[in-house]
Amino acid sequence: MIPTAMYIGLSALLFTIGVLGVLLRRSALMVFMSVELMLNSANLALVTFANQWQSVDAQIMVFFVITVAAAEVAVGLALLVMIFRQKRTTNIDTMTSLKG
Amino acid sequence: MLARLTNAEQLMMQLSWYIALIPALPLIGFLLNALVVRNERANGLLASASVLAAFGVALYAVVDLAALPEESRRLTVTLWDWLSVGNLTVSMGLLFDPLTAVMVLLITGVGALIHIYSMSYMHGDARPARYFAYLNLFVFSMLMLVMADNLLLLFLGWEGVGLCSFLLIGHYFDRKSVAPGIVPSEAAAKAFVANRVGDAGLILAMLLIVSYFGTLSFFGADGESGFLNKATEVSFISVNVSILGSIGVVSAIGMLMLLGVTGKSAQAPLFVWLPDAMAGPTPVSALIHAATMVTAGVYLIVRTHIIYDLASDAASWVTVIGGVTALIGATAALTQFDIKRVLAYSTISQLGFMIAAAGMGAYTAAIFHLLTHGVFKALLFLGSGAIIHGLHDVQDMRRMGGLRKSMPTVYRIYLLGALALAGIFPFAGFWSKDEILAHGWYFAQDYNITIMLIVSSLFTAFYMGRQIALTFGGEARDEDLHPHEDLGSMKWPLYLLAGGAIIAGILNIPGVHWLHDWLHPVLHEETELFTLSMGIFATITTLLAAGSGYLGYWLYNRMDRSQIRAGEEDPAHYYLGDIWKGFELGWGVDYVYTRFLVKPYRAFARFMYRVVDQQAVDGILVEGTAGLVGKLARLGAGAQNGNVRSYALVFFVGVVIVVGYVVFGA
Repeated sequence: MIPTAMYIGLSALLFTIGVLGVLLRRSALMVFMSVELMLNSANLALVTFANQWQSVDAQIMVFFVITVAAAEVAVGLALLVMIFRQKRTTNIDTMTSLKG
Repeated sequence: MLARLTNAEQLMMQLSWYIALIPALPLIGFLLNALVVRNERANGLLASASVLAAFGVALYAVVDLAALPEESRRLTVTLWDWLSVGNLTVSMGLLFDPLTAVMVLLITGVGALIHIYSMSYMHGDARPARYFAYLNLFVFSMLMLVMADNLLLLFLGWEGVGLCSFLLIGHYFDRKSVAPGIVPSEAAAKAFVANRVGDAGLILAMLLIVSYFGTLSFFGADGESGFLNKATEVSFISVNVSILGSIGVVSAIGMLMLLGVTGKSAQAPLFVWLPDAMAGPTPVSALIHAATMVTAGVYLIVRTHIIYDLASDAASWVTVIGGVTALIGATAALTQFDIKRVLAYSTISQLGFMIAAAGMGAYTAAIFHLLTHGVFKALLFLGSGAIIHGLHDVQDMRRMGGLRKSMPTVYRIYLLGALALAGIFPFAGFWSKDEILAHGWYFAQDYNITIMLIVSSLFTAFYMGRQIALTFGGEARDEDLHPHEDLGSMKWPLYLLAGGAIIAGILNIPGVHWLHDWLHPVLHEETELFTLSMGIFATITTLLAAGSGYLGYWLYNRMDRSQIRAGEEDPAHYYLGDIWKGFELGWGVDYVYTRFLVKPYRAFARFMYRVVDQQAVDGILVEGTAGLVGKLARLGAGAQNGNVRSYALVFFVGVVIVVGYVVFGA
């Protein structure tokens, strides 16, 4: 049996990749995918702990996260389409019109 | 006796309430004209009707008042308690006694004629609603002044006429200058400021009265507890005026009220506002000079005559101020070329007569002269308005001449007014002026002042003769003018006033003295015996006045066009030089104010504006604060760069710090 620490390590690795993706990628689509990656790393951690403690509580949380992620994708992609129509690009560095 | 008094009291109760209508009607007229009515004809009709109705109510009240026994001839109505502070209660109470009655009849009677005259004089004016509304407010304020049963309510009217004079003198506020070179807005402000100086005196007098008597009411609710009834009780107390030594309370009150009187009644040294007050429309000049405003000071002295009876030093100051003003006004009027300015200085001079008479204790004579002067000065002002109207706003007498032929009606009416003012037998002014002179000579025996007044009255006749000659006599001097006489509805007020100027003297001619008897319940003056020597005295003064008037007429009538030209000095200036010039400038009082008060004050104001306000307040405090906040905000705004990734970075770093703290720090 693979020890829990390995799962948690994978989860942490995926989360770090997600954070770096959000911070470093310029394409809005890639940022978006990185966010999904972070959510899924969290899901992975949750099911790992559910397995560890033999409890379904954490698994229920996973369903919530998946649901929220689905809703977020729907809204986020719609936003992206609108932004692309306006600016003809998905480069988030060009979206600075809310500058102070 | 008891039953009779109770009856009288019941009668008083019955007829008291409606005297409140007298000031209320012009107030309603003011409110309607100011807020609702927007049609020139309706404005004029409403304003005239409200004052005329007030006159009717006043007549009715006088008839009822006359039916009362003499000792209880005083109607009062307390509408509500105006203010109540500690022990001091001031009621909104009206008083109607014989003195108030004659004032109210003059104000509403002459006032109504001026309103009617205004309807055609102001035809086509840009702001008729404003004009008539203020005219009504003026009459209302003056009625409150004379009908107030306490000094504070009197002060309300006192300030009200000051405000209305400001508003009406500045009626042409959009004109840069009116003849002869007066800026209306500045003249209005000047009237207001000069009045404020005097008002300060009246306020101080009121404070003294409150602190020593504990009431501002003239006679109190029961007719015996007012400060006038209690004046004798404090006549021996003195107040300390620090370095100036000490002065009796009653004298101090009298002096301070005198300061108020010099402002409102245009006495030396505060008369400077009145000659400029003619920047307003001519009917307004008539209203200010004849029926309202300037008579307030005379009324105040006569109303509080008990104070002046007790304080002989204050009363002698009143006499001196009146005598000096009469002389200054008369000499200044000699030299003016503006037709209204002659009359303005003449008003100052005549007010000096009234004030001097009041100071000498001839209160009835002062009120008598106030009444006759109110009638014939209104006539003269309205007559000069007709001339100005007919000449299309020319006021310079040097450009007139020969109007006798083109304006025969105005000529005759004006001549009547001039004869009355000059004090020629048997016109109104003769009786009232001679009563003052006779009182000064035979009863007060104040020969210095009386001689000043006699000289002034000779000058009065002279300048009226000069004015008649310059305006109506000789040949027309300016061919560009096309005088026409088109009086319209202006003629009826003129006819009525002319009738008054002829017969008003009958009110108090020796042997009849109706006015004297009528005012006796208020003033308690004994009827003066008419003696043969007084008859001779009166004959001499009127003969002198007639001679002087004819001299003025003769001198100026024989001058031809080459001697009197627009923009040039009077021929007399050649002989009298600087004396003449000094007279023309009103003895330089205006110059002194300008040089020593107005200019330094303006310089100080400029300093406060340029240095203190613009640089210190605006520069450092206001703009400095704004600049500092702006700079700080710009600093913070740098964080909002709009770059989503940098926000995300900050967010993550924050999460790392918080989580790190929770996990490792705690």
